Amino acid sequence: MAKRVSVLKVSGLRRAFGPNTIFDGFNLEVRAGEAIALTGRNGAGKSTLLRCLVGADRPDDGTIQVCGNPMSETSPEIRRDVATVIDDLDFFPDLSVVEHLDLLARAHGIVDPDASVDAVLEEVQLVPQSGQLPGTLSSGQRRRLALATAFVRPRKLLILDEPEQRLDTEGVAWLANRLKSERQQGLAIVFASHEPALVEIVATRTVELGAPRG
Amino acid sequence: MSAPETDIGIDPPETPHLIPPPPRELKLLVRDWRRGRATKRLGEALQDAYVAVIAALMLGAMVLNVILRAQRTVSGCTSGTCLSSRALLPFAAFTAAVAVALAVSRLFGPVLASAAEGFWLLDAPISRFAMLRSRLVGIVLAATGGGAVIGGLVSALTGAGVHGVVAWAVATGLSAAAAVAFAAAQQGIERHRLTRVVSYGFGLSAVVALLAVVGSAAGWVRLGISADRSLEVGLIMIGFSGLVLLVALVIAARRLRHIRRTRLTSGGALVSGISGAFYALDLGLARDIVVERHAQEVGHVTPVRGRSTGLEALTWREWQRLRRFPQPLFVVLGTVVIPYAAEALGMAAITPVFAALALFAAMIPLFGGLRVLTRTGGLARCFPFSLVQIKIAVSTVPGIIAAVWAVLVAPAFFAFGNADGRTFAEASTMAVATAAAGLLAGMRWTTAKGVDYAKPMVATQAGALPPGLIANLFRGFDICLLVTAPMLLGFNPIWSLVIAAIAGMFLFNTTDLETMQARQAEQRKLLEQQRKQREATINHGKQGKR
Repeated sequence: MAKRVSVLKVSGLRRAFGPNTIFDGFNLEVRAGEAIALTGRNGAGKSTLLRCLVGADRPDDGTIQVCGNPMSETSPEIRRDVATVIDDLDFFPDLSVVEHLDLLARAHGIVDPDASVDAVLEEVQLVPQSGQLPGTLSSGQRRRLALATAFVRPRKLLILDEPEQRLDTEGVAWLANRLKSERQQGLAIVFASHEPALVEIVATRTVELGAPRG
Repeated sequence: MSAPETDIGIDPPETPHLIPPPPRELKLLVRDWRRGRATKRLGEALQDAYVAVIAALMLGAMVLNVILRAQRTVSGCTSGTCLSSRALLPFAAFTAAVAVALAVSRLFGPVLASAAEGFWLLDAPISRFAMLRSRLVGIVLAATGGGAVIGGLVSALTGAGVHGVVAWAVATGLSAAAAVAFAAAQQGIERHRLTRVVSYGFGLSAVVALLAVVGSAAGWVRLGISADRSLEVGLIMIGFSGLVLLVALVIAARRLRHIRRTRLTSGGALVSGISGAFYALDLGLARDIVVERHAQEVGHVTPVRGRSTGLEALTWREWQRLRRFPQPLFVVLGTVVIPYAAEALGMAAITPVFAALALFAAMIPLFGGLRVLTRTGGLARCFPFSLVQIKIAVSTVPGIIAAVWAVLVAPAFFAFGNADGRTFAEASTMAVATAAAGLLAGMRWTTAKGVDYAKPMVATQAGALPPGLIANLFRGFDICLLVTAPMLLGFNPIWSLVIAAIAGMFLFNTTDLETMQARQAEQRKLLEQQRKQREATINHGKQGKR
């Protein structure tokens, strides 16, 4: 069996806030078709680690490489390859749901943006809300829109922080199947989750951060 | 199989017939609790803040003195410009005050309640009329005071006599109060379209009055309005405003009892959000809150298909956003009047500063896309471009508008008013430099990051302050002054263009200042690793020798 390509390589990562060390000497390698679930209790450092992986936070030590390139949030190549859904996603207050997705698809040079946007919109069940402005969406709908931004564009690595948050039961089941399908198509996925069913269906490996639950 | 439980008839429990207390009693109760927890009396607090009280008194006396002197000086002026200003500017202030009062009232309510009041008091079966009437009267009185100050100030500064000042102060105060009462009456039936239309109408009247002053000063039109006629108009406005105030206040009060809780608490939430942002001196956040509220009010739009791909898609989307909400464009167009007015009124030396400041304020709404893409970084991360590329793409539309603005104001700098001796090239350069100052200042204001309270504080005489707290207040103004300074000092305007170019380079490359900092941090890490390796090698050598 051919060796899969390494998409993300993390070596000796360290992050501390003052005297409180969140993680130290953290190593991780994720290959295409692998899904890593980060688990652990609240405050274990899952979100901090993911923020470091996407470049939203700077580690105190260690290196992160995406497809062989050092991680830099400002690099267009990294932005092209890495799709993220973490809590700092913002929306244009005066652009509708469908216009956000259309803009993103066009910015990534997708050949038929209308078809891609329609398909994703259908999948995240936001067709009735397509003309709504983000400020009027419920928290669950905003989450679905955030997930749609990751699925409407090309990607090699998907980084998600508790993607099941605010989704209903049906939505979590859809997300699990969607992520499993993405992984099977060769996408590398790193996600933090508190939802055992999602971890069970999607993850090929689980990394528990912080002290284990007593 | 037994019958389902839902088929069994259950009567609701009897609710005891309780008589709710009057709202006044509840308010007194809350006031007693608050007073019980107060650690100081008002007099004691004023004693502690005696420096601020004395400073305010001295400053107030100085401002009053300056106004009185200006009034005496200007009242002696009998030129056409002074007479037309004296006749028209109080009217412009009157209409502008109504427009602003309506717009602000529509934004906040005008009758509002805090979230806590909404939950604890409005949920109880107490009369909303009794609870809210004093609030309605309070905001109407506040509007009367604010309007009177504006009206009196403007008419005093145009050199009107005592009767004129009093008449226009009363007229403007009553008109602002009538506007608030009118908006409150509309709030009671949850209709805002009429308030908006009337607000735009009065705003337009203010612009027309200002244009008439400029036209008269430039000699384009002759206005035969005397100061006496202006006083008569003021007295008519008092009667009209008073009548509207009375009718609107009665209607608004009658509708208070049916006003919905969400209509009251949404304004309260907005006030608390904005006051929080102002407390942190984060004006950008305050604006974001207002913009978000407006978008929530609109709620739904007809989606428009984007154009092109790549970076061009971002630029086209900015254009489509502007076409959807074109109001900011009209404000920019309105500022074209400023350099003409300044030149016509003989203020040629400071025209670039005034014009740049006006354009700066007008450009901020046009940078909405830039604001969203730079305030958190989450959305920008979704696009496969560097931040410099994104900034250029979303600033293209405002840049084109600023360029058009420069073309429109160029005649103001060339052979208009007192601008004798300027060549066409010099006037054009001044117009371009002024437009660049406004554009870049808007960009700097928009991309300002919120104050980071996690960073080490700076010790000042006013106590510990986070770095950037005060500097945030001057963002944008600094660029305006820096770029227009050479023109203000009489140097060749080319210098202004040079400064604008340098400022532009810094503004577009801020991002890559962050990248540079990241690279520096990487290099430091590398050097540290090399140092550790060298130390390890030396230690290893020493151990080998032993």
